[in-house]
Amino acid sequence: MESVIITDKAFEPLTAASQFQKYAGGAGAIASFTGYVRGEGGSVSRLRLTHYPGMTEAKIKVLTAKAHVRWNLLACHVTHRVGDMGAGEAIVFVAAASPHRRAAFEAVDFLMDYLKSEAPFWKQEIGPGGEATWIEPKENDRRDIARWSEG
Amino acid sequence: MIKILFFGRLSDFAGPIACTLPKDVATTQQLIKWLGREDVPLEKALTAKGNRIAVNKELVMRNAPIKDGDEIAFMSPLSGG
Repeated sequence: MESVIITDKAFEPLTAASQFQKYAGGAGAIASFTGYVRGEGGSVSRLRLTHYPGMTEAKIKVLTAKAHVRWNLLACHVTHRVGDMGAGEAIVFVAAASPHRRAAFEAVDFLMDYLKSEAPFWKQEIGPGGEATWIEPKENDRRDIARWSEG
Repeated sequence: MIKILFFGRLSDFAGPIACTLPKDVATTQQLIKWLGREDVPLEKALTAKGNRIAVNKELVMRNAPIKDGDEIAFMSPLSGG
């Protein structure tokens, strides 16, 4: 079971976790990750995420299907926020359920690395004066994703 | 008709375009040349390292064939999460 939600509305990660736990009933292990908009000491007041409707959902479904097969998961889920959001708001929630912990941890780590630089999202920081700066993947994001290559 | 979309940093250079498939354009590279015929900064942005191209919402190689009815998306490096 895999599910993907792209939303332009604020979501509550604890509610998402509780829903996933019901959805993945009977799993021995559930791991989840939530990413939040950083405060950066007031220098970044907002983030703006855009996506490519249709392609983004399809691409994430391919990623969740890959994780499902690779770690033999019972279930996995991705909620990703788009639009404008402020410091402290959740951007992304990823959860994986499996019989044992290792698979769940690794699947969540894998999904996050791929969401960072292989899913059609674009991120802008909106500064206190309203100025928008594009954020692009860094060298460490590329290194993170290289860890999963099947060689 | 074809539809041309620009995402991320590239959306600073051009908005969505709907037009008839230009004569002599049969590949994504030819489309970039055509878009750049009167807009050098756009052509330069489209050929920057790390960009991706999708045709009908599927990633393609840099020089992919295109035909009437296609939706072509030019995308700057992706950054989710």
